[in-house]
Parts: sequence; structure tokens; C-alpha cells
Amino acid sequence: MSTPPPPAHHSAPDDLRAAVREALASPATTATHASRSGLTSDLTIDETLILHSVEWVPRDLVIGLSVQSVPSAIWSWGSGEIELASRAHARAFEHAIARLHAEAVAVGAHGVVGVHVERRILASHIEVELIGTAVAPADASAAGGTKVFISDLPARDFALLLMAGWRPVALAVGASFTYAPRRAVGAALRQQTQNVELTNYTAALYTARSTAMERMQRAALDAHGTGIVDVTITEGPLHFAAHAIGFTAWGTVVAPAASSRTIDPLTVVSLDDAVSSFDVAPLA
Amino acid sequence: MSDDLPEAARGRLHGGAFTSGLSVADLAACHTMGLEPVGLVQGFCAMQWGYGPARTGFGSAGGMGMGMGFASGFTPNVARGGYVENYQCPHGMVSAEHRQWGQNYEQTWIEQSWQDGYGAANHRMLEEATTLGAHGVVGVVDSVASLADAGVVEFHLLGTAVIVTDLERPSAPWTTSLAGQRLAKLFEAGYAPVSTIAVVSSVRVWASCMTEYFMGSGAGLWSSPTDSVEIDQLVSARTRARQLVRERARSQLHGDELHGVDVRVNEREPGAGDIDIEVQLRGNRVRRARHADPLALPRPAVSLS
Repeated sequence: MSTPPPPAHHSAPDDLRAAVREALASPATTATHASRSGLTSDLTIDETLILHSVEWVPRDLVIGLSVQSVPSAIWSWGSGEIELASRAHARAFEHAIARLHAEAVAVGAHGVVGVHVERRILASHIEVELIGTAVAPADASAAGGTKVFISDLPARDFALLLMAGWRPVALAVGASFTYAPRRAVGAALRQQTQNVELTNYTAALYTARSTAMERMQRAALDAHGTGIVDVTITEGPLHFAAHAIGFTAWGTVVAPAASSRTIDPLTVVSLDDAVSSFDVAPLA
Repeated sequence: MSDDLPEAARGRLHGGAFTSGLSVADLAACHTMGLEPVGLVQGFCAMQWGYGPARTGFGSAGGMGMGMGFASGFTPNVARGGYVENYQCPHGMVSAEHRQWGQNYEQTWIEQSWQDGYGAANHRMLEEATTLGAHGVVGVVDSVASLADAGVVEFHLLGTAVIVTDLERPSAPWTTSLAGQRLAKLFEAGYAPVSTIAVVSSVRVWASCMTEYFMGSGAGLWSSPTDSVEIDQLVSARTRARQLVRERARSQLHGDELHGVDVRVNEREPGAGDIDIEVQLRGNRVRRARHADPLALPRPAVSLS
């Protein structure tokens, strides 16, 4: 019986060792472009490689933030939407996005991917911080003239989006803060010992949700997008205001790319499922 | 061998068996790459920093702090050479408790102390690696923690020193936080590790009357505004703190690239409206050693399990 040939990948270690030695032997000392300002990127090596595979490269780490004041008295009493808070939230994102955009343009990027969104809602102010890596096509003339996009999709999803024949367009945000009106004293007393739905809170949630989603969708249409992916939703009461409900949503607006492509995923059956096991728990 | 190392350390480093902080998978990947671990190397430094040069005339952090005696454009000694911005009160004389002006300033002495501490710990780790005849240090991690006493910070770096057989040793070992498969990918992509980089910026916000008011601690001297406004002083301080670390990291790159940047922000509010902002940035400085073609487009897979 003949011995089966070794799998092809057995030659890989030698190639890898050669690559390691080549990389470590040569540059011991001088940078390739010592006169040029260095590039910073928060992408992992995996993300850098996958970005490179779709022929895009990182340009620089870019930052945009804003802090908008909110008079703390507005959260307590009222009915309907807390318009000032909704407006402050919208402005905080608008200013932060504009600053991120300006930094991306300054480094000659065509977009920003993997934007981390840090947002805090406090009684007195709303803070938004955006940080991501500005990217551009490896061939700078490839997509010249396009508008700079902002996307919270990680680089891996950005690459997959391009491979599927779509492109990111913008970050769309919608938010609404709504009062949950207080119940009448009589109703509150009657319901004190009952299991009962608090319809004022439920209604406020639905109102806030409807307005916020509509605003996010409007933002997508204004950006000439055809859809929004990877939407992040936060909702619920605010810890500092017992009768206010907030609903916020943001996601990446996408549109079909000029050259239509489709992906043909490989169907796989994984054989490395978690091992079935059981624990013996003590009685009582 | 360096004379600076304690005798016990020298004995341990030449104990005959290697130590490492590598997982089994990372150790296997090291061997695949032709890197041989020789020892777990570490560096420590405990630093104390005070409050910088005397802040003559600053007073307390409370309402009196921004007192009456400072003309617009006053620059404290502590901030010279760093970022400073003044915010003048638009109201004129209101009361002795009213903040006449506010200021953002870079706490350069804290930054210097941080860099000195981190740099010393890094140097000591590299010294151990050099003693072992290492070419580089992989899987470098660091911790920066406060010791029992406020104002004392401990820096601790550790990583696994490796040698590459039959390769000339560099003048100083290279370092990287990558190990295992990720390090292998870096080499395959045509990059060589150069060093880990960690930089910090520290900016103090002494709130002006308007900033204090908008941050929610105002004395209620004005009626509630009818619209939201941007809190310029805070936006400026936070933006500048982040830009400072980015500029500082860039200045150490000399044309190389910084990958896997991790930005951590610590803020504390020692007084009403007053904020200490510290931004730390870490990353791997890498250098392109050869041209590498893009990887083939990955084939998406749908798992049926």
C-alpha cells in the first residue's frame, strides 16, 4: 500500500519561516518613508488584510465629538415629545459626524469604517464621541469624486458589503424622547395593588419608537440610500427621569454600487460543534 | 549580560528552561514561524507625581477657584509649552462666587511622568530580553495601576522574548503585542514588527461660569435656556486630548504604521464642572518589509450547524 502524499499545506511553515526571516532581516533599522508622517489605524491585522483584499487601505485614525447642553428641568413635567432633548441628541450626532467627516477629508480618505459610537445621555447634557479609521481605495483614482461616507460597520462587514455589490453611504441616526404622563391620583391609588399594564409608559415607548425610526429612515432617504443595516437600538426609561422615555437608533445607510455584484456563499456543515456534556449537580 | 540586573534575575534568566507567557496555541505558532521562546521578560516602575509646579493664585477647585484677580490670557506656569485655552466670563462682575474665567490646559508634568514610568518599565523589559540574547519580544501586555497611595502609579510590562535561529541580532529587540496566528499574518502580509507604542495626554478643564452652568451645577442665576447649545470648552478639551495622543504617537512612527490602535479614556470630576481627562493610546508600530499582493477575495460561508 502506498503512503498517501502529505497535504499541500505542509510546505506552508517553510514559506512562513522565510517570510519571517525576510521581514526581520531587512528593515532592522530604517523606515521606508522616514520623511512621511506615520499612519495610525485601529484596525486589527485581520481587518487590515481583508480591507486590502477588496483593494482599500487605512489612512488614519479620525475623531469627532460633541457635547450638547440640555436644561435639566425639562425632563420632569410635560406631555408629548421632549423636543429640546430630541433636538440636542440630533445636534450632538450632527456635529460629531461633521467633525469626523472633516478629519477624514483632511487625510484624503473616501470614508470611515468601524466607527465606535460612544453616547451618554445625562440630565444636563448629551455627549457623542465617534472614533474610526479613515479608509481609501488603494488606487486613489478608483473612486474619485465620491462623497466621503461614515459607517459603523466593522472593516470585515465593509468588505463583505462591497463584495455583495453594495456600498455604505452614511451613518443615519434617529432619536425621540417622550414624556410618560403621570396617572391621575385616583387611578394610581386604584392600581396600587393590581397587576396592571401602565399604558402611559407603553404608549410613550410606542410614540418615541415611531418618531425615532421615522427620523432615522428620513436621514437615510436624505443621504440617497436604499436601506439601513446593523441598526443599534437603545430604548427605555432614563435613570434620572422617572417620567421620560427615550428611543434612539442608528445604523449604516447602504445603496447599490455602480457595478452590480452578487456573492455566492459556500454552504458548510460544521463538524466542530460544542461537545455535548452534562453536569452533575448536588441535590438540594 | 547587563550589570544592572539583580543576581537572582540573572540566575533565573539562565536557569536552563525557558519561561513564557504564551498559550499553547501561540507557542505552536511561534515554532511554526521559526521563533524560539527563551524567557518571560518583565519590566516594572512605580512613579509618583504631585501636582506640578506651584499653582500660585489658582485657589480651590470650587466656586471661588477662578477668582477675580486674573486677567484674560493668563497662562499658568504648569501649562507652558502645552495646550492652553481660556474662556472668559461674558457677564462681568456678578459675585465673589462667580467664575470670572475658565481654562483648559495640558498637564504636561503628568504626561512626562507617565512617559517616564512607561518608558522605564519598557526599557527594563528590553534589558532582560537583551540579556537573553533575544531578537524580539512577542505578546507584550501592560498594566498601569494605581498603588495604595493616591498619585502613585505602577507600570508593568511583560512579554515573551524570542530568538530567530541564525539571524543577526538587531541592536535592540523589537516588540509587539501580537503573538501566535496574528503575528504570523503580520509577517505574511509583508510587515515586520518594530515596537509597541503607548502614549498619554492629560488635559484639565477648569470650567468657566457658562461651562459649569451647562454641565448642570450652575447657581441658577440665569433662566433656563430655550434651546440646547454646544458646551464649547468641554468639546475643545476632549478633542484636543485625543488629538494630542494621536500626534504624539505619529511623532514616534518616523513614517512607519501604527496598527491595532486602542484608545482608552479616563475622566474624573474633582469639582463641579471641573474635569480631568486622560487619554491613553496603544498600538503596534510596524514597518512594511516587502510588497505583498492583496489576499484573494474571501469566500463567504453559510454554516448549517
